Amino acid sequence: MVEALGDVLAMPLDAPSSDGIAALRAELDAGARATGAVGGWSPDEPLRLSKHLVTGLLRCPRRALSERSEDNGPADDVVVGWMVDAAAKLATVSPRRSVTVDAAVAFLSALGDATVADRLADLGPAAAPIRSDASARIDGLAASGLSAVDPAWWPRVEEPVRVALAGGAVIVAGRIDVLLGGPPTGRPGVIVEVKGGRWYDGMRADGHLYALLLALRDGEVPARAVTIVSDGTTQVEPIRPALLQHAAERLDEAMGVAARLAAGEPAAMSPGAHCQHCPVRPDCPVGRSWRPRAAETGP
Amino acid sequence: MTATTRGGAGDPVGTADRLRREAGGRIAEALAAAPPGAVGDVYVGWVAAHEAATCPARYRGEGEHGWGFPGWSPPLAAGACGRAALAHHIARADRTGRAPPLPMPLDAIRAWMRALRAGDGAGSGGAPPVERSGVGDWICDVWEDGDSATLAAVAATASRWLAGFVRVLGWPLPPQLTLVGPGPAAAPALRWRPDKASPVTVASGADARLGRVTGAGGFVLVVHRVTSGDDGALRDRAAFEAAAGGLAIGVAPGSVLITAGDTGDRVTIPVDDRLLALGAERIVAVVTERVAAVERGFDPGDATPSAACRHCDHLADCPPGEAWVRGAGRWQGGLPVMPVTPPVMPPPNGASPLDP
Repeated sequence: MVEALGDVLAMPLDAPSSDGIAALRAELDAGARATGAVGGWSPDEPLRLSKHLVTGLLRCPRRALSERSEDNGPADDVVVGWMVDAAAKLATVSPRRSVTVDAAVAFLSALGDATVADRLADLGPAAAPIRSDASARIDGLAASGLSAVDPAWWPRVEEPVRVALAGGAVIVAGRIDVLLGGPPTGRPGVIVEVKGGRWYDGMRADGHLYALLLALRDGEVPARAVTIVSDGTTQVEPIRPALLQHAAERLDEAMGVAARLAAGEPAAMSPGAHCQHCPVRPDCPVGRSWRPRAAETGP
Repeated sequence: MTATTRGGAGDPVGTADRLRREAGGRIAEALAAAPPGAVGDVYVGWVAAHEAATCPARYRGEGEHGWGFPGWSPPLAAGACGRAALAHHIARADRTGRAPPLPMPLDAIRAWMRALRAGDGAGSGGAPPVERSGVGDWICDVWEDGDSATLAAVAATASRWLAGFVRVLGWPLPPQLTLVGPGPAAAPALRWRPDKASPVTVASGADARLGRVTGAGGFVLVVHRVTSGDDGALRDRAAFEAAAGGLAIGVAPGSVLITAGDTGDRVTIPVDDRLLALGAERIVAVVTERVAAVERGFDPGDATPSAACRHCDHLADCPPGEAWVRGAGRWQGGLPVMPVTPPVMPPPNGASPLDP
């Protein structure tokens, strides 16, 4: 554990070896071809995976399929998460500003996403607890070091990354909250993921997946995945070959689950900490019977 | 457009002349079908061309805001600001006689914004004057208004554009690459109007040009996309940009290079008569639909349902779109979408759940 992002960037970071990237791609391509045959995907109608969907399919397929339903409005904790996320990005691109809830919401709106502003406006005075919660979490990011990154690191927010497997039958895509370094800067890549909740171990998986996607896209393995959490936690992980291999295995497993669902298999319901905020829970017997253990925290 | 045996590469100037004549004629013919003065500004960019081709009903329902230039916003200005900042960065280095260093995206955007504010470049570190441009004027207005959220959003989107462009094209930039847009190191924006009085503006989305424009053609138009999106439309995009670029420059390009920041892909599509004809078709279709909208705006009768229906403002008034969302649209990205509330399952003994 380190104090802040600045400590990570001040360390000598050796770029990891790019050996093994071609083999990972070959494995994933083979997996995508095999599962694509079951799922019926093609370049015209591909399977589209995001970090949320990969995690969701592995955690609870029933919830993963329902979360994408447009019947759902965003829950309050999701709205708070969006504000925290926007605040971190605003701090990165506009380091001299003091980032407030209003500034983060205005930044989101300027980017064309008025969902949060509309939600707060709809709630009126009832939005006060959401704003207060977001404000406390944004304060928790103040020491993250995002606002003090040397521009030579090429800080980019919402860096899009997309990898096509099996000739485009499976697309894995996402937007990295903040990407530092990587080609063509001459510095090793550092992935920064920002989380609005409390730290739990499952948060690491997003950074791992992005490290894999960047390696496949750029042909260079990023050096670190940093998860900055609004509870003050900064988790730094060196990207090792075993970690990339694990990320590839998760992705392959998620493709397998997706293929079975696409082929008509009923969506399994797997209880866990994720049940706490699940929109399906009222109608899910497995989820309703689940109870958190004392030490259990999670999404 | 009339096909030639050798394609666009055989006679790039003659091909562009013919393209102008034929596209201009068809646009005039389309406009003549509307009562005089009934058609306001028609901005024919890639987005309009794609919309008119994929769902004419939706395009006709856009209204004046959608038919004309929609106005600058941080997402829309990303490319224009990124290009202008990169051109400014290169021009600053040119002044010193040294090769430009690798730009730092956020710094490059800020330096360009500061130079815009300084007007003549004074106080901006020996920077050359920044040329007036629509997007530059907009930035100055935003600054005057004290709208720091929008400036920060522009910094975010434009620096992302610039970083992706440089990463995919490589640094130093390829020899003979000329950015399109404002700036002393850039070529003018590629716009074409069929005639001075025409309400139609055809706007190429090309970001740069590789090679010099000569009568022999052969130059390449470079189109950089931050995200690759719908690759099924790649050939359509190349067709539109080849035709729009040929119309604006007066010489048909040799090829279109389409790059994508998210994938790092670079796809070169050679320009031939068929591609130019497809591009011209897309351009004329926008004007045709705009004219049709004078009498018939959004009409679900010829709506073409697709995934775009999910975000369409007309969905509530569009039975085909609603049917699509309820049917094929229940599948998203290769997977079924399940309702939050599942269908009631019969109890294990086979009795109806409604049985007392």
